Amino acid sequence: MKLIIGYLYPDLMNIYGDTGNIIALKKRCQWRGIEVVVKMFSIGNKMKTGSADIYFFGGGQDQQQELVARDLVKSAKGKVLKSEIERGVPLLAICGGYQLLGDYYRPHQGPTLKGVGLFPAFTVAGDKRMIGNIVVDSKFGGLVGFENHSGQTFLKENAQPLGKVVKGFGNNGEDQTEGCVYKNAIGCYMHGSLLPKNPALADWLIQKALEVKYGKVKLPKLNDQLENQAHQSAIQKFS
Amino acid sequence: MKTSAAVAAGQLISFLSKKLGKGGGSAAPGLYALKLERDLVAKLAKQIPQNIIITGTNGKTTTARLLSHLAESQNLKVIRNATGSNLERGVASALLSQTNLLTGKLKPFDLGIWELDEAAFNDLAPKLQPKIIVFLNVFRDQLDRYGEIDSVVKRWQNSLQQLPKSTTLIINGDDANLLKLTNSFKGKIITFGIADKEHKIAGEHPGSATKLNVQAQNIKAKGLAGISFQLSITNYQLPITLPIPGIYQVYNALAAFSVASLLNLPTHQLVDTIKYFSPAFGRVEKLDFGYIFLIKNPTGATQVFQTLAPHLKKDDRLFLALNDNLADGTDVSWIWDANFEFIRNSSRAKSRENTIYISGNRAYDLALRLKYAGFNPKQLYINSNLQQAFLHSRAGLKGQLFILPTYTAMLELQSILTKQGIKKKYWEEN
Repeated sequence: MKLIIGYLYPDLMNIYGDTGNIIALKKRCQWRGIEVVVKMFSIGNKMKTGSADIYFFGGGQDQQQELVARDLVKSAKGKVLKSEIERGVPLLAICGGYQLLGDYYRPHQGPTLKGVGLFPAFTVAGDKRMIGNIVVDSKFGGLVGFENHSGQTFLKENAQPLGKVVKGFGNNGEDQTEGCVYKNAIGCYMHGSLLPKNPALADWLIQKALEVKYGKVKLPKLNDQLENQAHQSAIQKFS
Repeated sequence: MKTSAAVAAGQLISFLSKKLGKGGGSAAPGLYALKLERDLVAKLAKQIPQNIIITGTNGKTTTARLLSHLAESQNLKVIRNATGSNLERGVASALLSQTNLLTGKLKPFDLGIWELDEAAFNDLAPKLQPKIIVFLNVFRDQLDRYGEIDSVVKRWQNSLQQLPKSTTLIINGDDANLLKLTNSFKGKIITFGIADKEHKIAGEHPGSATKLNVQAQNIKAKGLAGISFQLSITNYQLPITLPIPGIYQVYNALAAFSVASLLNLPTHQLVDTIKYFSPAFGRVEKLDFGYIFLIKNPTGATQVFQTLAPHLKKDDRLFLALNDNLADGTDVSWIWDANFEFIRNSSRAKSRENTIYISGNRAYDLALRLKYAGFNPKQLYINSNLQQAFLHSRAGLKGQLFILPTYTAMLELQSILTKQGIKKKYWEEN
């Protein structure tokens, strides 16, 4: 079996240590004998339906985020992503990536950045930075990471959050929701990197990717002793 | 009156802090004195004929130390914030410790050398009225504290606009982000960098090449013993031997030489002086049984791994410690951007499955990073208690121990080493 991981704008959206998510997906496939290719999609690259089996989109700086927002529309990568998600392809988007896949991002000054409209959510620039460790209760169990954002994301009616904030700020620091799930796409604010310390979520993404590509597949279990220790010790430390 | 009271209070706290063994008095005295007199730094710094600021993400302490080593060899009297205390309180503490309690006058100095962190620079540049400012580099570092690189650079630009034309900027011309500073500054600008393409360290966003006024070429690494290069600086071509390893150290040396030359120090005489340089505590520190290399952000850590990897021998051991205290950065995500794979791919790691000792209050995060870099979890000894982990790492050690801690883990280790009589208190070091 073989999976292609589509890494969106790795040259522009890469400053928050989110690369660990790619490393985790890659290793957890390889340890199970699944072949992995990481394909980069940035400004100037073409992307079409079927270009990748899992997509990852990380966080970046404001200026880069603007370039990326424009490219998502101009190169039609946004449209492609939407149709990929509709056919069940899994995606993980963190922070800036999450914001750009919502309806829009409204900054303090300047024009509103149009989003891809994949997640039924929108983001407005906030006044305070929400920084710190975050623990979330989700259908994947407890999730732990680190958030650092000033944008406040609000979910629209009927949107499904990734989970409930146990410790930290989450989407907006107001309604105790964190992240958003639409079909097999997950957006959230959790750096850390997220997937190494939350292996259940990593495996869910891999499972979904294999199902879309190969039909029902049983994912062999890995020895996650160290992952679980890191997960537990972080949750205990911060809850 | 206010100044003398602040000086007296600061000195009292310094005395107490040393007596109580709480530290060298490198921050607390300044912190309290500043509460009594907000303009303390400006008032005292004004009495120094030339102030020099060194800022950037990596290499501040080593550059400041290199420069004062060069200046002191020419009998200049130097005052500086010596122990990596690079916020306003650290500068105030250094000034206080050299101020006469009765007159409120600073002892006579020729040169003030101030290393300031990325944020403290903006507050302190107007107060110190520097003659020279050195910008070493700007890499992603502690985003929880400093914010994103673009905003760091933007704030620097604003601060530079307020400074007089008589100030000289010395900047790393290989870091494209720093070149943005040249637009907002009207004074003289000197650029330094590495001419050899294969050794150039680009910034976060590679940009077009710029003309370098001071440059290094023919760079030759000499293992852990150091590095040599040819220095080209105003009418001189000089062979330099730097007794500390790592290509990144060449940039620190270039910065120090650029300042020295601007101060009209006899550059050719410094060629010999630099051979006898010893770096700051914990930055790259040689111990009887190994080395300490500070790691604190992805770029710096990767450079350390790259430097170390070829020299790890069969019996050598690695000790890594990750803390998430305020001074380390509370976000440990950065370890996923640091290239631990370099150590994994060293010939030692390939040939043997030796234990790697892992500690710090985020030991498990670090252990996980190593697992995903390709190490077998069975090789990893994990103990978040630094002292216990350190004792384990030394038991039966046949080769050298390479200790790679984050900042506060490094301070803790220093005190463990001191308690065991292995080394002097760090604030007593020169």
